[in-house]
Amino acid sequence: MKQSEMVAQKDYWAKSACKMCIHSCAIVAHVVDGVVVKIEGDPDNPSNRGKLCPKGHAGIMRLYDPHRVKTPLKRTNPIKGAGVDPMWVPISWEEALSTTAEKLKKIREEDPRKLLVAINDFHRIHIWGWGSAFGSPHYFSTVGQYCGAAYHPINGTLDGSFAAVNDYDHCKYWIQIGAGDGFSSHLHVAASIKRMADARVERGMKLVVVEPRMSSGAAKADEWLPIRPGTDRAFVLGMVYTLLYELNIYDAGFMRKHTNGIYLVAPDGNLFRNSESQKPMVWDSVAKAAREYDAEGMNLQDVALEGVYKIDGVEYRPAFQVIKDSLKDHTPERMSEICSIPADTIRRIAKEFGEAACIGSTIMLGGKEYPYRPAAVNFYRGAIGHFDGGLDSLAMKLINLVIGNIDVPGGHIGVGLDHRLLIINAGKDGMLHPEPHLLHPPYEFNEKPYSFQLMEWYPIGIDPGHLTAENVLNPEKWGFDFQPEALIIEHSNPMWNLSATNKVVDVFKKLKFIVAIDIVLNESTDWADIVLPDLSYLESHLLVCIEPPMVTGHVYRRPVIEPLYDGRDATDILTDLADRIGFLPNWNGLLNFTTFLTPENYLDPNTKYSNLEITDRMAKSIYGPDKGLEWFQEHGHTTRLQTPEEMYLPFAQKGLRIPIYFNFIKETGDDLAQKMKAAGRDWDTSSYLPVPIWRDHHPLHNMPPEYDLYAFAFKECQTNFSESTTIPWIDEAISCMPIHLGVMINSKTAQKKGIKTGDILKLESPFGEVTGRASLCEEVHPECLALSNGMSRWSQHPVGKRQVTTHFNKLLPGDVKWTDGMTGHLETSTKVKISIISE
Amino acid sequence: MHYGMVIDLKRCVGCQACTIACKAENGTPPGVMYTKVLDQVSGEFPNVRKQFVPVLCNHCVNAPCQRVCPTGATYKREDGLVLVDHDKCMGCRACYVACPYNNRIFLKRGKLKSGYHGKVFTPYEAVKYKEHQDGIVEKCKFCSHRVDQGLKPACVQTCPADARIFGDLDDPESKVSRLIRSRGGVQPLSEDSTEPSVYYLS
Repeated sequence: MKQSEMVAQKDYWAKSACKMCIHSCAIVAHVVDGVVVKIEGDPDNPSNRGKLCPKGHAGIMRLYDPHRVKTPLKRTNPIKGAGVDPMWVPISWEEALSTTAEKLKKIREEDPRKLLVAINDFHRIHIWGWGSAFGSPHYFSTVGQYCGAAYHPINGTLDGSFAAVNDYDHCKYWIQIGAGDGFSSHLHVAASIKRMADARVERGMKLVVVEPRMSSGAAKADEWLPIRPGTDRAFVLGMVYTLLYELNIYDAGFMRKHTNGIYLVAPDGNLFRNSESQKPMVWDSVAKAAREYDAEGMNLQDVALEGVYKIDGVEYRPAFQVIKDSLKDHTPERMSEICSIPADTIRRIAKEFGEAACIGSTIMLGGKEYPYRPAAVNFYRGAIGHFDGGLDSLAMKLINLVIGNIDVPGGHIGVGLDHRLLIINAGKDGMLHPEPHLLHPPYEFNEKPYSFQLMEWYPIGIDPGHLTAENVLNPEKWGFDFQPEALIIEHSNPMWNLSATNKVVDVFKKLKFIVAIDIVLNESTDWADIVLPDLSYLESHLLVCIEPPMVTGHVYRRPVIEPLYDGRDATDILTDLADRIGFLPNWNGLLNFTTFLTPENYLDPNTKYSNLEITDRMAKSIYGPDKGLEWFQEHGHTTRLQTPEEMYLPFAQKGLRIPIYFNFIKETGDDLAQKMKAAGRDWDTSSYLPVPIWRDHHPLHNMPPEYDLYAFAFKECQTNFSESTTIPWIDEAISCMPIHLGVMINSKTAQKKGIKTGDILKLESPFGEVTGRASLCEEVHPECLALSNGMSRWSQHPVGKRQVTTHFNKLLPGDVKWTDGMTGHLETSTKVKISIISE
Repeated sequence: MHYGMVIDLKRCVGCQACTIACKAENGTPPGVMYTKVLDQVSGEFPNVRKQFVPVLCNHCVNAPCQRVCPTGATYKREDGLVLVDHDKCMGCRACYVACPYNNRIFLKRGKLKSGYHGKVFTPYEAVKYKEHQDGIVEKCKFCSHRVDQGLKPACVQTCPADARIFGDLDDPESKVSRLIRSRGGVQPLSEDSTEPSVYYLS
């Protein structure tokens, strides 16, 4: 139905898309006399099937939040600071846009690098590049720290995926490490909770949850294994050791057929190549000779996975043998000392896992036979949000690869960033082309850094926005010869979401002009000079599809009512600014790429297009000329279940192998090391390893002894992936949940330190301090403190504030030393000392 | 016909979608929750057990709230729903005291004069608070307005884990009856002879 016809009705249900987290569940909104009175999951959608999480239901209270930005606002109080009233006055759009454009135009003419950018609206990834079209390479917000700088690039490198999750429909033994899938977050949580509950209760799937705090997932698990933060890799490598050295359980068939485990590796760690063809070589154990990996007539069964082969006096080993050798000292006993999980438990879980994998068995799906491996390790930020996080991620992939479960029924399944599913292109050496950069193209290396987040020195990372503040404040360290003057924010809250909060405050203090596009005021907009009101998700158009497990297609987000206030779609605002500042052609060129436009739908460089027009062209480009926005208004969404062929072994269908030996990562690191050496830079590339191992020099575990407790932040379903703590229904619900009300400390640890529930504590890390109310509990590892993000707010917004604000990010560092060299992920746990301020 | 609810504690993940869906459906004012999910922790580290227990009015067959109501405001429908007639309730709170589950809520006089953001109502609150009355006792209605249209209660409709199942306890072939039989559904505090219409599976 056309928009005007729909909203003219007295009583209707409008199909749309949720945006209360980064994902995009399909919803229906009930509107009576122009007022949204209920939001439910769309029962027709094959993903969330009518289900919705608490945040989704609370969308009404965000829509009607009286603290929404209703008109453009101008600050009249020149003094800025936390808790300082900006003394907003409403102004016209013309004044707001012309003032903003004038300031930014001047900057762009002088040096566009003087603009910091914090645009990371996950539903509108197409606008993230506005800064680069302007000419600014900077990123002053976090994405990687939130989800997975160390997660996504490794997924993309393995199988062209952006995310991954175990196969809900077939898995029978699910190990979950530092992840909320199926319980509290990630990949359309309402849909995932249902699938996980069905697997647990109907199919009797065994669930083992490994994490330092008993989350809702651990509460439902058959077994909770409390672990020391930042040591998950040790646990997993102890399991790999058990499988390879003690149980001899691994999927040789999968490795031979689908991975580079058979490729011979030279003593320097590089692949052994045919000197003429440059093709990787394998060892034919029948011919007793090295041959090209794709040599005709060679039987794969005869190709060696293990052994050492001397060729012209040099010893070569198949990659699988290299992996095995690299882990020969990763015994459960040694790994147990690192991670605190008993060695016997590591062995037992490894055995159960290996046996549950049913190596050798197959299953028929959609008329085709696939390997059936109903055991898998699923992981997310808790497991990999650390120094050496890239190696953490590789270890999690390795244990899955060992049992041959990647992208097969029952196993560990890649999930695309959007409707494109996995990006399967041919790379070198018969391998899948590694895709570490699905969010934006990589930054070109330069010996002199040009982005404050140093993206040019993280060739497979995701923007380490947490480095920006440190580099702005200490420009001489890496040789920045410019300083930022302004900041543009869109749907982001860098003051709240970045680590090393005190440094972020210092950067905000330096900035002469801040413009923010948002729907509510927050910790960052409190510092802005101009605020421009965006439309809320219930008032705007978009085709959206974020990390869809099991399904593909788009959910059409449409305005369920007429916009309430004088807001404008953020895309339109940014287009207007691009035009006024003078870079519309660059902006339109970027949109051609980021909205997947086909040549016949390309935007004219010098014409301003509305968000509606761009969305219409996007629809036509993807679905054909007869499926523009009108089609979506009539028919709704295009989401459908993925076919087995789309989900399973997509790389094999194109004859491509995936890595078990990550030589791409080693080669990337070697290349970077060489460039840095030539540039005379001291830069640590030691984590670019082809095989994940444990490395003892981890800074988190080597902090001065007075910092005797680990500390980390957590979220649950009510607050995950979103700014929902200022929504009164959410605030009310979490106020009844003990986990969100104080600093969780194990009762025995508290007893030793003389701490009682309710005591006000001071938590000090080497990087900052916070206060918090002690909450004694049993659900946390005795060496840890766990802090909910539900007590972290301090903005002018009156909802969601606690008497004691405990903002975990203040305790974290934000510099290179605490950043994973391979991926740019920040170490997201820290250690603290605690003292009682008052009882 | 005897409507009842089965709550599968194995399925419930404590996400509170039901809590918020109930608020949205019924437009309950601040502090009023017809349903919520309790977190129950037992044991000592590392042998800890955490259970999420959704609670709501049990729509008892022998409802003490109904017995003690002096005005007949609390009444029982033939389909088992225990409801409160707002016009008859005088707010004496006898039912509030009598309910062994603490599932009745008294809306103080003036309670509806302010909402989640003080005295200025959101458009949603302006519509929904008209469905309430201050000075009386309220509680979960099993979403009688939805049930009468053939819909499931809001908490059941949304539960992402399908932990809440609604149906006819009189029909031996209904899903609720089959689940109670096959998995041994337990009524809360059934020794009080209240005969709740809510059953828990563990």
